[in-house]
Amino acid sequence: MTDVALISGGANGIGRAVSLKLAANGIFVVIADWEEAAAAEVRKTIVGAGGKAEVARVDVTKAGEVEAVVGGVLQRHGRVDILANIAGGSIHRKPIEEMSWQEWKEVLDVNLKGTFLFCRAVAPIMQRQSRGRIINTASNYGVTGSALRTPYSAAKAGVIAFSKSLALELAPYGVLVNVVAPGPTETARVMKNWTPEYIREREKQIPLGRHGRPDDLADAFYFLCSAESAWMTGQTLHVNGGLVMP
Amino acid sequence: MRLKGKVAIVTGAAQGIGRAIALGMAREGAGVVVADFQGTKAKAVADELRALGAESLAVEVDVSQESSVKNLVDQVLRRFGRVDILVNDAGIYPRSPVVEMKEEDWDRVIDTNLGGNFLCSRAVVPSMRAQKSGRIISISSRIAHHGAKEGAHYAASKAGIIGFVKALARELGPDHITVNAICPGIADTALARGTQNEEALRGRLKNNPLGHALTAEDLVGPVLFLASDAASYITGQALNVNCGSSMH
Repeated sequence: MTDVALISGGANGIGRAVSLKLAANGIFVVIADWEEAAAAEVRKTIVGAGGKAEVARVDVTKAGEVEAVVGGVLQRHGRVDILANIAGGSIHRKPIEEMSWQEWKEVLDVNLKGTFLFCRAVAPIMQRQSRGRIINTASNYGVTGSALRTPYSAAKAGVIAFSKSLALELAPYGVLVNVVAPGPTETARVMKNWTPEYIREREKQIPLGRHGRPDDLADAFYFLCSAESAWMTGQTLHVNGGLVMP
Repeated sequence: MRLKGKVAIVTGAAQGIGRAIALGMAREGAGVVVADFQGTKAKAVADELRALGAESLAVEVDVSQESSVKNLVDQVLRRFGRVDILVNDAGIYPRSPVVEMKEEDWDRVIDTNLGGNFLCSRAVVPSMRAQKSGRIISISSRIAHHGAKEGAHYAASKAGIIGFVKALARELGPDHITVNAICPGIADTALARGTQNEEALRGRLKNNPLGHALTAEDLVGPVLFLASDAASYITGQALNVNCGSSMH
């Protein structure tokens, strides 16, 4: 039986790389993203390479939309084996006195609430299956904090603690919950904000001397979907070239 | 075959987790050096690896002795000409409350478990630096974070490994050598059996959220992942493989 993976934020950046990696390993991928055109492109790439995928449009902050996506996947495929929550981003970078309540909520909603909503919708399915992998996405900033990213750091620390709690809840069902924490990664979205000087300066701080690439992260997500990590749960895997060693 | 053409040294490979890792590396195509204090057992494991079709060499080594470690790496370089992967697994775990702990026991545990990491890593670094690639994987323990009654020296040595791994990762990053640790929960191995009676061990093995008794074989996947190209951007990390028994 083909495993079915639901990937939120699967259309761009790290999410896209994870979608391609899982599909290349024979997994049916549901690319759940609010950027439908980009998701369709990823699907086309997967199908062109002989893989299987479909697109589901979703705003991860809306409970009704998340539940509809999960319900649809269950109806069409009868199962969900893997849930990778990758939708997210720091969005607003500014000092706290300039951060509005609305902006705070926006960052918390997409990074933390979206993860909660998808996990809540998928957990009963995985419990019934007595099988499943959930991989949530944090950030090195969830451990170190980051000036001008107070809501993002709080949300990502929240993802780590949320995932530990959910790991304990789902362990009796054999469902594993782990976290991937990327360091700064070369995705189109963040690179728009990086000047060449900034890139060179930060590369000096990274022991392995380069920024992360979406494929580096995809390998870590795949490891946490695979049989090799069968006895890991509640853990956070930091993929950051040694920038942060918590 | 993720490790085809690679040469791996696994210390403590005569039994338990080290032996399972040696077998796993051989299955992935690596030439494997079975390095252990127990020379006869090491030879038997090397024979097993050859039976799998892997190149293999058994070397008797005391990882707490500088000259012995030098002899190990000299032999490996003579035979294979390179070292791509070092797995520091050799370790001992005598039990004693701190107030009764003999200084010799303290020294022996720290010198073997932590000093062995230093001596073996130092010995392979020149070869890895020369080829601008390498993987060092050290077996720490859940006890590094959690502590253990009657195991203060062991806990200190295993926590020391994590500090050592982070520092070495910073030193070796520019040469594309990654250094990571694995922290296993209690596993059903000869070492664990030597530290407590059967009944107590049976109870503790499954006392974790997943309710699974870890075996040596269960640690192999995460080690192979760290040794493979898939983990080339991961360094300075300690992976907990413990069925959810701690989430440090």
